Amino acid sequence: MTQVDPITVEVIGSALTSIVEEMGEALVRASYSTNIKERRDCSTALFDWRGNTLCQAEHIPMHLGSFIGIIPHIGKRYALEDIKPGDVFIGNDAYEGGATHLPDIVLAEPIFYEDKLVGWAVNTAHHADFADRGHAHIYQEGLRIPPVRLYREGVLQEDIQAMILLNCQVPHERLSDLRAQMSANRLCVERMQALCAKYGADRVLAAGDALQDYAERKMRAGIAAIPDGIYSFTDYFDSNQFPGEMKLSVDITVKGSEMHLAFEAPPQVPAGLNIIYTALLATCYYAVKAVIDPTILPNAGLSRPIIVEAPIGSLLNCKHPAAVDGRIAACQRVADLVQGALAKALPGRVTAAGNGACTGALFTGTRADGSLWVYLETIGGGGGARPQADGLSGIHVHMTNTSNLPVEALELEYPLTLLRYELVNGSGGAGKQRGGMGLRRVYRTEADCRISLEGSRINSRPWGLDGGLSGAGSQYDFGDGRTSFQGTVALKKGQVVEIVTPGGGGYGLPMTRDKADVARDVAEQRITSDFAREVYGYGA
Amino acid sequence: MAWRIGVDSGGTFTDVCLFDDQTGRLEIWKVPSTPDDPSRGISTGVAEGLSTVGGHPDEVSFLGHGTTVATNALIELRGVKTGLIVTDGFRDLLEIGRQKRPSLYDMNVEKPEILVSRDRRIEVPERLRSDGSVDTPLSEEAVRAAVSRLSEADVKAIAVCFIYGFLNTEHEAAARRIIEEEFPGVFVSTSHEVAPEFREYERLSTTVVNAYLGPVMQSYIHRLQQRLKDLGVKTTPHLTQSNGGVIGFETAADLPVRTVLSGPSTGVVAAQAIGRMAGLSNLITFDVGGTSSDVALLQNGVCKLTGEANVHGYPIKAPMLDIHTVGAGGGSIAYVDSGGLLKVGPRSAGADPGPVCYGRGNTEPTVTDANIVLQTLNPVEILGGRMKVRRDLAVEAVQRLADRLGLGVMETAQGIISVVTANMAKAIRVISVQRGHDPRDYALMAFGGAGPLHAARLAKELDISKIIVPRTPGTLCALGLLLTDLRADFAISRLAQLTEEALPDVQEGFAKLERQALDWFEQEGIAADRQIITRTVDMRYIGQNYELSVPVPAGPISEGTFAALAEGFAQAHQQRFGFIAEGEAVQLVTLRVEAAGIVSKAEFVPQPDAGPSPDAAQIGTRDVYMPEAGQFVSCPVYARESLAAGNRITGPAIVEQMDTTTVVLPGMQAVVDPYLNLILEA
Repeated sequence: MTQVDPITVEVIGSALTSIVEEMGEALVRASYSTNIKERRDCSTALFDWRGNTLCQAEHIPMHLGSFIGIIPHIGKRYALEDIKPGDVFIGNDAYEGGATHLPDIVLAEPIFYEDKLVGWAVNTAHHADFADRGHAHIYQEGLRIPPVRLYREGVLQEDIQAMILLNCQVPHERLSDLRAQMSANRLCVERMQALCAKYGADRVLAAGDALQDYAERKMRAGIAAIPDGIYSFTDYFDSNQFPGEMKLSVDITVKGSEMHLAFEAPPQVPAGLNIIYTALLATCYYAVKAVIDPTILPNAGLSRPIIVEAPIGSLLNCKHPAAVDGRIAACQRVADLVQGALAKALPGRVTAAGNGACTGALFTGTRADGSLWVYLETIGGGGGARPQADGLSGIHVHMTNTSNLPVEALELEYPLTLLRYELVNGSGGAGKQRGGMGLRRVYRTEADCRISLEGSRINSRPWGLDGGLSGAGSQYDFGDGRTSFQGTVALKKGQVVEIVTPGGGGYGLPMTRDKADVARDVAEQRITSDFAREVYGYGA
Repeated sequence: MAWRIGVDSGGTFTDVCLFDDQTGRLEIWKVPSTPDDPSRGISTGVAEGLSTVGGHPDEVSFLGHGTTVATNALIELRGVKTGLIVTDGFRDLLEIGRQKRPSLYDMNVEKPEILVSRDRRIEVPERLRSDGSVDTPLSEEAVRAAVSRLSEADVKAIAVCFIYGFLNTEHEAAARRIIEEEFPGVFVSTSHEVAPEFREYERLSTTVVNAYLGPVMQSYIHRLQQRLKDLGVKTTPHLTQSNGGVIGFETAADLPVRTVLSGPSTGVVAAQAIGRMAGLSNLITFDVGGTSSDVALLQNGVCKLTGEANVHGYPIKAPMLDIHTVGAGGGSIAYVDSGGLLKVGPRSAGADPGPVCYGRGNTEPTVTDANIVLQTLNPVEILGGRMKVRRDLAVEAVQRLADRLGLGVMETAQGIISVVTANMAKAIRVISVQRGHDPRDYALMAFGGAGPLHAARLAKELDISKIIVPRTPGTLCALGLLLTDLRADFAISRLAQLTEEALPDVQEGFAKLERQALDWFEQEGIAADRQIITRTVDMRYIGQNYELSVPVPAGPISEGTFAALAEGFAQAHQQRFGFIAEGEAVQLVTLRVEAAGIVSKAEFVPQPDAGPSPDAAQIGTRDVYMPEAGQFVSCPVYARESLAAGNRITGPAIVEQMDTTTVVLPGMQAVVDPYLNLILEA
C-alpha cells in the first residue's frame, strides 16, 4: 500500500474539501425550488471506492444519514463490474434506497480513474414534494425509489425519469433540481479525476485512508479525555402529529477511547416520526463530535470508536414499513439526549438544550392553471445557553441548518404574505447565561390552500443546565380556533397562521446573571421588568 | 509640471507614488502610517514626497487613494451608534439573518456583533406587496415618533429598510424626508439608495453597515480633504471603491459601504495595469501580507464583479471585485493538532510580537520562521538590512514541532510551507476552478511582502507555468492608482422574460443607466472622447435565484441583442454548471452599466536589453534548503535593483529587494522584462 506523509495528506485533504464545497455551491446556484436555491436544504459528499465518507460539505448533518446508506445499497443490488463510468444512481427509500426519508433524493455517481473505481460523488437535495400525504406507513409517504440508474454510461434513462416525475406534484421543479444535482456530481467527478492525475490515484486513495485514520485518532483522543463510566439521560419527545409523550433515554458507556450509546425507546408509531438506523447513526456522530471536538473531519473515520444501538422496531430504530417523513423531530431529541448525558461527563463543556425541534410548515395549493405549488419552511428557534455566553437566538440547532426563505422570495412565488417574523420575548430560558430566543412567524393566506405542520417541545421544554431554567415551548394558532392538529388541513383565503418555536434552555443560576446583562435584556424587551425582578432579583 | 500622486495607507507604512506627467519621472516615498488618523500620515507623505521631487502642491493634477478606514472600522466595530426603522413585524430580521448558525458543529462560535441594538430598531406601520403596490400605507406619524426616540438615544446615523423598498421607493423616500426634517444632520441610509435589490436581509445588512460606517468615513474624508487643502493641493482627491473603480471623495462619503474592499481592490487594479504593460491579460493576483492573502482572477484583463459578498461576517450587496481572502500569511502560526496533523493559521503572530525570529518573545513558529530555517529568507537580516533576525530561535521553535511529528527539522519547516501553500491553493481554487476557470491558463502575479516568496511553490501546486513579480511588489497599490481609470457602476432591476415584449423595458432601463453614467462623466469632468460605457445583464433560467452576467453587444438594444444575450447566457451556463436546459425560459434580472473615464496614465519607458548575464547583480550565494534535493543547495543571490532588462536567471536562485524576496526554484527560469518585471517560467 502506498504510504503518504502527513503533509501530503493535509494538502490532498484541502483539495477534497474544495471539491465538496464547490459541488454544494453549484447545486444551490443551478437549482429551481425555493427549498434548495434559497433554503439550501441539500448536502454534498465524496466517498471512497468502498463507500466510506471521505468528506462532507458543511450543510445539513441529517443528510449524512442518507449518505451512509446509499453506497451499500447500490452494492447490494449491482455487481461492481456492472458499474460503469457515467452511470448515475438515484434513490430515496429509507429501507432499500439508503435515504432517511423520501423527499431527500440522493444521486450517486461512480468516479473512475484509468478504468478503476476510485470513489463516488454523492449529493442529496430535499425536494419539497410528496406533500399532503398520510403517514401511517411508508407507502403513504410518496414514491419509493430503490437505487436505480437515472443515467446509464452517460445516457439519461428517460423512462425512469418520466416514471419518477409523474409521481411528483411539482415535476418541473423536480426536473430542474435533478439537473442541478447532476451538475454538482459532474463537477466532483472531474475534480477528483484531476486530483488523481496530479498525485496518482494510489496516493489520493492512501491520503483518503489516512484522513479517515486521522479523524479516528482525533475522535479517540476526545473520548479518552472523558472519565470512564456510564452516563445516562432521559428526555421526552412529543409531536403534534402523535398523541402523548414518549420517554426516550440513553446510557453512554465510555471506556478508554471508545464510546457505546445504548438507547431505550417505545415501539415505532403509525406516524411519520420514526427514524431508521442510519439516521440514528448520523445523529449520534453529529452530537458526539459537536461536544468532543467540532474540528474533527466529517469522514467515516470518526465513527470507528462509536457503537450505537437501539431496540429494533422502536421509534429510534424502526423497521419496514414504519413511516419516516418527519424523522428529524425525533433526531433532534436524540441529539438532546446525547448532549444531556455528556454534560454529566464533561461539566462546563456542553450547552443547555437548544429549541429541540425542527418546526416544519408545508403549504400546498393549486394555481389558476391547475398546477400544484408546494412550499416548505422549517423554522429555527433558540439555541441553548453556552457555559460562557447566552444562547444564539433564531437559529436552527443540531441536525439541520437550513436558511429561511426571504419574504421577498416567498411572496413572489406563493400566495402567502408574511406579516411578522421576529424573536419571541421571554422565550429564552433564564440563567447566568440566557437561552436563545425562539421565533414567531405569522402568515396570511392570499388564496385557499392546505397546510401540515410538524413541531415538537409542545409539552416538554428545552432543559437548562447547572441551575438554568427551561426555554419556552412551541405554540401554534391557525386562525380558526385550532391550536394543534394531525395531518393536513385546509386554510381559507385571508386566514392568519401563527407559529411560535421554542427558546433555548438557560445555563447557571439566574440570580448569578450579570446585572448589566439583565438590564440590557429589559431595555431590549427580551424580558419584562417584572420577570427581571422575580427571576433575576433585579431592581427588587 | 503636473504631478499625479497615488497613496496607499497600510498598517505600517504609507506609500506615496509620484509621477510627473510631462517627464515620465516616477518616485516613491514612504512614511510611517498614523493608524489613529491615517489622514495625518497621508498629508505628511504627500508633503515630503513633493518636496523631495521639488514639486509644488498646486502642481498636483490627480490624487488617488486606497483606504482601509471603512474595513477597519467594521472589523474593530468602531462605527457610530446607529438606529433602524423597519416595516412592522420585522425589527428582529437584522438579528435573525438567514437563521443559520455560524458554525455547524461548534456551538461556542458567536454570530457577528449586531450593529443596531434591539431597542434602537423601531417598527413603523407600512407594507408593500411583491408587485410594489401598497398593502398598508406608511404611518408618517409613527416615523416621526421613531425619529424622536432615536434622536433622544443620540444616534449618529439612521438606516431605513422596508420590505420591497427597492420596488417602490415612496415609503423609504418619505421616511428620509421626515428624518431630515426632524433630525437634521443625522446620517441617513435608505435601502433603495444603498442596495436596490431583492432579498430583504442582505439589503438590510448592507443598509445598516452603510449607516454604521457613514459618519466615520465622512469625517475621515473631510479631514483628509482639509489637510490636503491646507497643504495647497487644489485637485479633488479620489478614492478606490470595492469595485476597483476610482471615484471622487464626495460620492465615497455618501456610500461608504462601497469602499469596504478599497484596500485589496487597489492591489487588483494595480496588478491589472502592470499585467497590461507586461502583455499579460489572464492573471491570478496573489497579494500576501502578514496575516492573510488576497487572491483574485483577471480574465482578459478584467476582474469579475460580484454583487454580494460576506465581509467580516456581514452580507454586503455592492459591486465588489471578486476578491477572496484566506488567513494565510507570513505571520500565520504552525501547530500540531490533537490528531497529529500539521496545521498552519489562521491564527497569526501579527507584527507584534511577530515571528519567533524577531526575538520579541513569541515561541510558536510561523511561516516566516520556516522560511528563515530553510534560508529562503535571509537568515541574518531582512527588510534590506533594516531588521536583524534570529535563525537559532526559529530553528528551536520548528524543532519542537518536528519532535511531535516525528520528522526532521528541515522536513518540518518545508512541511509548514507545503501546508500554507495548500491553504493558498484552496483560496485560488475558489476563484478559478469553482468559477469554471483552469488556473493553468493564467499567470500568477505575486506581490505584497510575502507573495514572491511563496509564488513558485504555489504555482507548482496549481500547475501554473508563469509568474510575474512586479518591480516594486511592496508598493504596488500606490503605483496602481496612477495607472488606473476612473470608474463607476450603475445597476437597475428589470425582472422580465427574455422575449420581444421585454424590449421596451430593457431599452428604457439602459437609457436611464446611460443617462446616469453621462451625469457622472460630467460631474467628474471627463471629456467625451475619454468615456467608455460597458453594458451587461444578469440572467438566469426562470426559477433559478442566482444569475450569470452576460455582456451586451454594442449598438442599440434590438431583437438581435436579445439573441446574442440568449447565446451568451447558454455559453455561460454551460461553462459554470456543465449543462444547458434546452427549451427553458430565460429571465433578465439586473441591467448594469459600467462607466469608465480614461485618464492619462503613468507611462513607463521600456529599458534597453542589457543581455542575459545577471552576474553584475549577484551579491553573493546562500545555502537554501531544497526538498527536491533533500539538502541545502548553494544558490546565487541577486539584488533586484541591480537586475537589468534582458537578464536571465536560472533556478535555484534568490532575488532580494527591500520589500520582498523572490524564490526561483530549480528548473525555473527568471527573465527581467523591459519594464523590469521579473517573469518566472517553469
